[in-house]
Amino acid sequence: MLALSITNGLVIGIIYALTALGVSLVVGIMNVINFAHGEFYILAGYFSYLFAHTMGLDPVVAMVLSIAAVFLIGIVVEYTLIRPTYGDDLYSLILTFILSIVMQSTFLLVFGPFPNKPPNWVKGATNVFGLFLYGNQRLAALIAGAAVIALFFAMLKLTWFGRMIRATSQDREMAELNGINTRRLNMLSFGMGCALAAAAGVILSPVFPVTPSAGVPVALTAFVCVVLGGMGSMWGCVAGGLVLGLVENLGAAFVSTGYKHVFMYLILILVLLIRPSGLFGRSET
Amino acid sequence: MDMRMTKNRWLLAAGLVAFALLPWGLGVYHQHIMIVSLFYVMMAASWNLLAGYTGQVSFGHAAFAGIGAYASGILAAKAGVNPWVGVAAGTLLAAIFGFLVGILCLKLGGIYLSLTTLGFSEILHIIINNEYEITRGTMGLQVPGLLSEYSKLAYFYIFLAGALLTLGVVYRLIHSDLGLNFRAVQNDERAAASLGVDVVKVRVLAFTVSSALAGMAGALYGHYLLLITPQIPSLDQQFLVLSMTVIGGMGSFVGPVIGAFGLEILSEYIRAYGEYHVLAFGLVALAVARFAPRGMVGIFRSVWERRRQAAVHPSLPAESP
Repeated sequence: MLALSITNGLVIGIIYALTALGVSLVVGIMNVINFAHGEFYILAGYFSYLFAHTMGLDPVVAMVLSIAAVFLIGIVVEYTLIRPTYGDDLYSLILTFILSIVMQSTFLLVFGPFPNKPPNWVKGATNVFGLFLYGNQRLAALIAGAAVIALFFAMLKLTWFGRMIRATSQDREMAELNGINTRRLNMLSFGMGCALAAAAGVILSPVFPVTPSAGVPVALTAFVCVVLGGMGSMWGCVAGGLVLGLVENLGAAFVSTGYKHVFMYLILILVLLIRPSGLFGRSET
Repeated sequence: MDMRMTKNRWLLAAGLVAFALLPWGLGVYHQHIMIVSLFYVMMAASWNLLAGYTGQVSFGHAAFAGIGAYASGILAAKAGVNPWVGVAAGTLLAAIFGFLVGILCLKLGGIYLSLTTLGFSEILHIIINNEYEITRGTMGLQVPGLLSEYSKLAYFYIFLAGALLTLGVVYRLIHSDLGLNFRAVQNDERAAASLGVDVVKVRVLAFTVSSALAGMAGALYGHYLLLITPQIPSLDQQFLVLSMTVIGGMGSFVGPVIGAFGLEILSEYIRAYGEYHVLAFGLVALAVARFAPRGMVGIFRSVWERRRQAAVHPSLPAESP
């Protein structure tokens, strides 16, 4: 029981971290919370369903195409909606919230209220450590999720673009003085934030089928991860995801299943009370 | 100036009387629309107190209405408490929760309030669905009405009184010294703090009052519908209140009133063609928030300004700065 909860918690935790990375990136660079983050996740799930199931493309091709499409949509959204609100947090909150509802009702009109699911990549189940059976698709999702997180951190540490992102999230003015076009960086990083949501979406939609409103809990979990890890801290966000996954699953196993998701909010309240800057956040808030 | 003020007052009073007499000439269906519109006036006006005047966005306004509705409904249906006492209790409970959430996250600034209130509304949903023995979950909780005899006309006057009370509270607050502090905090937090305005206290107060008013609106609404469902504290409801305020005019006193009536009446017409009203309002609200952040009131004002300037200086090009 304990081993199963811990394994489950780690799997879910990696997944939470993956969905939260995009939020963390956008907060760090632009100080904007994208309330439509969960809907971009769902959008990618629908795209990959369309490409792989309806059009019959190879699942991997469908996934790449979906991520690219969501990246482009994210760039358009930044350019048309978010850019004019720089410096006015109020309107970016309101605009992304309205956007999330608009996307949800569009999904409902186009795809209906039924769960949709792209085909699995692998079949069957594996016996983990000789203790319990675990679905192969879940294990594959775990590996893919960890790979995306690793790739993202490698990009952040090793490439010139990653250096620009780190510089801008540390000190925006200083980065500008050193010749970084922060306007373009904003656009790219918003697009990347959406693409990260999309990566999570295509990886997870075979396991958790997408419905029009399924993005809300996804986004909420991502927000709690980001606050727990510290706004704008990428490592914090991964740590936050793992902690949340573990707490949720241990709580579900030993306290109450129905209130599984409430534990997460209890953590949020504790963080706000005790350490508002989060695990790895900068102390000025 | 005095002459004009008294004239305006008379006009306002005459308009109110005409409005109060209106439902006598309407059928039951149109009376219902007016009652629902008045509920949205309460919701939008109190949300506007927070968002429009202190610049804090709460996504839990519908959740606070839900707290009012469920508290009052459960007291009346399970403990046999008089519904009016229930409404008072619901309002109080929403105020207490608003105060607690407020002190928890308002010292941290805007983004945290939005995140926490969104989480708060999610917690409420989980609780309502898990405690279905008490709340009846998505089936809905049947509650008694406010009056021994059900009459749409009587409910109309109750809701009119509620809306006037809400508008009165909002008006008094924004036209007091406190209201000045509200706007100072919205315009420049640091400058306001340096002049001795207790920024956190001002925000917590605005949030508490706004949540209490939402709780009252929700409690009244529950006893009007006679069935309390998780639809009252839903995100869709929150979205409607938000778009009414944004489209009507955030940060203006009449904006939410215009938005509430306009959108509720429109949604009844759109409903004839299917459930498109959420999508339609969403697109309009996006466009308004992006291109006319002051809403309909702002558009009217700038058109009026332009006309007046053109009348005073006919030689100038008709463009406001």
